Amino acid sequence: MGLILIKRRAIDALAFLFASGATLFGLFWLFWILWTTLANGLGAINAGLFTQMTPPPGSSGGLLNAFYGSGVMILLAVLIGAPIGVAAGTYLAEHGRHSRLARVVSFLNDVLLSAPSIVIGLFVYELVVRTSGHFSGYAGALALAMILLPIVVRTSDEALRLVPDQMREAAFALGIPRWRVTAQILYKAALTAILTGVLLGVARIAGETAPLLFTALNNQFWSGSLSGPLANVPVVIFQYAMSPYDEWHALAWAGALVMTLFVLGLNLAVRLLARRTSK
Amino acid sequence: MITLMESQAIALDSPSEATKIEVRDLDFFYGKSQALKDVSLNVPAHAVTAIIGPSGCGKSTLLRTLNRIYEIYPDQRADGEILIDGQDILDRRYPLSDLRRRVGMVFQKPTPFATSIRNNVAFALSYYERLSKAEMNDRVEGALRQAALWDEVKDKLGQSALSLSGGQQQRLCIARTLAVKPDVILLDEPTSALDPISTARIEELIHELRDQFTIVIVTHNMQQAARVSQRTAFFHLGELIEVGATAQIFTNPRVQRTQDYITGRYG
Repeated sequence: MGLILIKRRAIDALAFLFASGATLFGLFWLFWILWTTLANGLGAINAGLFTQMTPPPGSSGGLLNAFYGSGVMILLAVLIGAPIGVAAGTYLAEHGRHSRLARVVSFLNDVLLSAPSIVIGLFVYELVVRTSGHFSGYAGALALAMILLPIVVRTSDEALRLVPDQMREAAFALGIPRWRVTAQILYKAALTAILTGVLLGVARIAGETAPLLFTALNNQFWSGSLSGPLANVPVVIFQYAMSPYDEWHALAWAGALVMTLFVLGLNLAVRLLARRTSK
Repeated sequence: MITLMESQAIALDSPSEATKIEVRDLDFFYGKSQALKDVSLNVPAHAVTAIIGPSGCGKSTLLRTLNRIYEIYPDQRADGEILIDGQDILDRRYPLSDLRRRVGMVFQKPTPFATSIRNNVAFALSYYERLSKAEMNDRVEGALRQAALWDEVKDKLGQSALSLSGGQQQRLCIARTLAVKPDVILLDEPTSALDPISTARIEELIHELRDQFTIVIVTHNMQQAARVSQRTAFFHLGELIEVGATAQIFTNPRVQRTQDYITGRYG
């Protein structure tokens, strides 16, 4: 009796040690990364970061053009990807429930979801950059939209499936046609979950570098136009971090810190949204 | 062809009762399994008809054919005729939106939409009728009064319907149904998710609505059937076993199986 108890306690302690050790191991790297980014990035954050362009080697400057380029491309990617994604998710959850086509689409969407982003970059390179003859912000936004799309499809599909069938029956029982039920009842019920999906998608594409290398490339100067090469934060970080210049290193750290905080903020927003829904 | 059941039912009807719904030779299938077998039943106007029977006997299924809500699911099928005011509603040509406007339905679990109390009532109304803001407010108020909910919500019409209690939510669902002015109201175990006080309020409400509407209620609570209905139909294994005046079914059933169920021998 006593022996069994001791044995159980020992196994319990061991399991606890292992589980918490694994957690600490994971957290250690995360905090190390955050700490390094903070320590190196904080010093480089100043007003110039948000008001000046990326500088040539050896002089000071900021990341204004990169922030602008990233912002515009992310915005355009959301404008392209989110409506198509929500529409496709609606098809999967509402119209295609019993159809073979929907199962195939759902499977292909999962493939797209896990496709390496560099493949999507190359695809858009072939599709847009080669045919148009030059890199452009539009190509970058398209590549980001294609990464965002499957995320929004999956989350809006799941969000709509979480709306209980009784709600659908109740709405249909009033004689309301399907499109109106979807637009006015189901979207409202699933709104926060769909928004959460879009925000998570934005957090994902905000840090994507590979697809932009082949599409938007980079631009050291200010350019408001999306039809030419466009500066963006991830590629600037990539180039500046590889360079031998201290000023560029500092800017790369500052850019990394701002992006990290942006993604952290988005995740917090998602948390808050989710909490508001569950209430 | 008039079946034995039907002749029984007709014999028990008082001649003054007008028939609102006439179910004739109805079969219902979930995929390959048959849930209703050759059901024929008359539902009188301006009265409450209760449908009772053990779980899986087909009572909810019958209700779900009366507004063709089963059609959302492609593997469900009904054969036979259901005449409402003499017109066969199972006929594909009968417009679904008209049918569902005339035949409202309230479900077991309260199903408020994730919007304000006012919008819950106004939603279907705004689809059927072009109303000015003032007219809309009147109709919303009227429906909420009819559902005995007005006094509890009149100061918070803009609040989310999800903030109401379960019983209030269910009365809101009734108000939502009443707002489009149906003739028939289908109630699918409307109180089984509610506490006794809320249940009593809904039953009171059913009493008040009886004169203006034709009400069909499915319930597994026999006391409730006895309290609220004038006619009762007993179903077992997809068949209509007996139908008659509620008092007769509960005090003097003609069929042994009805008696066994009512006295609690199974179900």
